[in-house]
This record gives sequence, structure tokens and C-alpha cells, in this order.
Amino acid sequence: MRVNADLYVKDVPGQLVAALEPVSVMEGNIVGVVHHRDQVMNDRIGVNITFELLDSERLDKLLGIWKDRDVRVSRIASVVETYPLDYLLIGEISPSRLEEILDEVKDMLGMEALDIRYSSVMESGSRTALINAKLTNRENLRKAEDMIASMVQEKGIVAVRGLGK
Amino acid sequence: MSVDIAIAGFGTVGQGFAEVLALRQDMIREAFGTEARIVAAFDSGSAVYDEEGLDPLALITAKTETGKVGDEPLVDGAAFLESIDYDVLVEVSPTDIVTGGAGLHHIKGALAAGRHVITVNKGPLALAFAELDSLAKENGVQMRYEGSVGGAMPIVNLCRESLMGQEIGSVMGILNGTCNFILSRMDDGLPFEQALKEAQELGYAEADPGYDIDGVDTACKVVILANSVFGIECSYEDVDVTGITAISEEAVAMAAEQNYCIRLIGEISPERLEVSPRLVTKGHPLSVTGTLNVAQVNTDLAGPISISGRGAGRSETASAILSDLLAMMRSFVNTK
Repeated sequence: MRVNADLYVKDVPGQLVAALEPVSVMEGNIVGVVHHRDQVMNDRIGVNITFELLDSERLDKLLGIWKDRDVRVSRIASVVETYPLDYLLIGEISPSRLEEILDEVKDMLGMEALDIRYSSVMESGSRTALINAKLTNRENLRKAEDMIASMVQEKGIVAVRGLGK
Repeated sequence: MSVDIAIAGFGTVGQGFAEVLALRQDMIREAFGTEARIVAAFDSGSAVYDEEGLDPLALITAKTETGKVGDEPLVDGAAFLESIDYDVLVEVSPTDIVTGGAGLHHIKGALAAGRHVITVNKGPLALAFAELDSLAKENGVQMRYEGSVGGAMPIVNLCRESLMGQEIGSVMGILNGTCNFILSRMDDGLPFEQALKEAQELGYAEADPGYDIDGVDTACKVVILANSVFGIECSYEDVDVTGITAISEEAVAMAAEQNYCIRLIGEISPERLEVSPRLVTKGHPLSVTGTLNVAQVNTDLAGPISISGRGAGRSETASAILSDLLAMMRSFVNTK
């Protein structure tokens, strides 16, 4: 996950290090630091920091360390990494069956977003469906692909998968 | 001491190699202090051998004018190779993906006899890579095959030599120029049948296009990369293959609306050996158009590395054979 935070640290030597060092302790990767010397509040100066962490558990621990070190957090925003599940399906697709399967994927594996588009049905009975979804876990992505693969095999549908990350 | 070469197969690629060898002879002499000579060549019905060396351009002239590379009738290429003396076999006979064809016998015979082999023949490699690789190692000789995947695009040597020390997680690529041409023309609005017909008229696709459009050719290349780069012992049957025949105009148009194009991608990783049409975001390194080949190598230290080049053609494929030959010659010098 990628996190952006506004911090206020005391304007004394060593305080910025005290704020940044715990990110490394939590095996995080600091992407950027902006020192706002013009933003002063109660003898503290503003620092905006962007970093990457493996999970929210580590973020909770980091917030605890900052609290112990008297680093004030005025704003925090995190973005959870997502994994795209993109498919173009070609064949005799039943929208109700497809949506049923995608609902199963959603319920079992968790999904951040889902968009499905259909073409009109051709004379041959074939149609095209484009699925764009986002999963929050890489392992679940493979499971979702397996679920879609078994459906397309059963129905003789051709699946054009996205490249993924 | 010269490096003596026998060429098995004297069609477009064999002639192209003879041509570039003649063109680069001075460079070879300067770099290695020795000559690389063609001492033998054969096609489906004739052969020629001279232990003192043959004129590469005279061989091309003979083939062009008479349809034969030599005066000696040829019955069995493998037997002919057994009867002559040479250092390196350049095996460029026609590909047979079902049995490996004569090429498989030529390569096995040469390796067993302690000769080095350079080949662009995908059939033997796709069917019997592990066996041929073991045979080469047992006999202390080299087998190189850069031109068998991606023509002039140096993907094999990039992965095996330039990226040495890196962990390669996967290789994904467009490894068949014919399919890429057809799918690119479908991007322009042509239906599949018309794009295929155009590819045939331009000489990119055979009269029987199944080998390309059913994904067979790409699958052979997937096998070669899986064995050579990942050390996965596999053959053609182990690849999950879907061709491009089911791709409709409608599907291409729907993909385009969302900024995608459809490309036939070969994917090789420890988890996956697959050939299938895939959705590729426009602007992605794998969204190339026309007959180009492209590959993306995903490494642990350097991240993704992309490489692109012409996947076929007389001088393009010959350039890959030449590069294998020079790499061999460099290793002969280093091991002296």
C-alpha cells in the first residue's frame, strides 16, 4: 500500500530522522519527503511524506511509534494496491450466468471495482463481453482467473485475458 | 586453423547465411585471426563438399540457376554429414513440428559426432530440446539457436548472457510476425479473413496459415525459451495454446473503445507456458504493430526490459546465425 501523510515535527535537530526512521524499521520504502518550513504550528514544522508499506498492520505499528516519538500526524491517506482482472470474452455468453460467476468472485475473493460491457448478439448467437475488475490480492487474482477459465471451457467461449501487472 | 562449416538446408535462410558470411569474412579474419569457411552444403536433393572451402556466393549462384546447391545427388543428409569433416553444423532445413523432420536427425548426428550446432529449426528444439541439450553437454560441444526465436531479435542471448545473474520471473512477447500483422490490420477495421488474405498476398502467411494463426509457431518458441532461459524441461504438448481465429471485428472494436488492442502473446514463467490472444493497453511495449516481434523480460533487479526486432527475413535470420557463430568462435579463442 502507498501512504501519504502530513506530519508536524519539532523544529530541533534529529526530529525529522525520528519521523522517517520508523518507516524503514517497518520495512517501508520512502518515495518522497517535502519539508514545509513555512507551515509552522505550535513550534512544529510541517513535513509531507509518501511511502510504501506491505500492509495496514505495519501502518498501525508505525502510527504507534510516531505517537511515542511525539510526531504529530495531521492527515493520513492510503491507497490499497489493486490487481486488474481484465477479460474480453467471445462466444455464446449468457449475461445472467456471467454476472452470477462474477458475483461469486466478488463474494469469495473481494473486488474493488467491476465494470461489464456487452455487444449486441450477432446472427451466429455470439457476442462479446468486456470485463474490467480490480482485486485487492494477487493470490485471489489467480483464483478468479481459474473460476473464469472453468466457465469459458465449459461453454466453449474464447477468453482474451489482460496482461495483468 | 579455420572454422569449417556445413550447411544443412540451402533455402532462403541458408543462402542468406552464406551471403552474410561472405560479407563479414574480413571482419572475422581481423577479429579472430582465422577464417570461417563453408566446406559443405546440401539441400533436399543435392550436396557439395570441399575440404579446402567453398565460395559462398558461387553456392548461391548455383542454387539460383540450377535449383541445386551441388552436383552430388543426396539421399540422406545425416549420412552425408557422417561422411565429411567439419566443425560447425548450421542446420536450417525446413521445420517439421510433428516429427522433428530430417533436421532432428542432422542435429543429433552432429552432436553425437562432437560437432557444434547452430540452428534456427524450431521443430527439433520444440520436440526434443532436453535430449539435444544433454547430447551437446555429453559430447562437450555447443548448441546455439538464437535465430529460432524472434529472428533478428536477440532474446535468447539477452536472457542467457546479458541478463546473467538476474532472476527472470517471466518472459512475455509477440513471437510471430504473421499474427501480429493480421491483428494490426484488424485494428484498422479489416475483418479477420481479409487481413489473413492480405498477409498471404504480401507473403507473410503461407497458403496453409494454420502453423501461424493457430499459435503453433509461437508455442514452439515458448518451448525453446522455457527450456533455455528457465530450465523447464518441456515440449510442445506442455504449452496451453489458443490461436487468433476466433477474434472477431467486433471484439477488436470493443477492445479499442477501452484503449486496448489484441495481440497473440507467448508467456513463459515457472507457473505458465501459454500462447493466447491477450488484451494489451495501447502504448504498452507489447502493443507493436505490423510484422515486428517484441518481448518483455521481467527481472528482479533491473525490472522489465523490452526488446523488439524483425522476426523473420533472409538477412535478419542470417544475422542471428552469424552472431551465434561469432560467439562460438570467441569461446574457442577463450578456451585455447
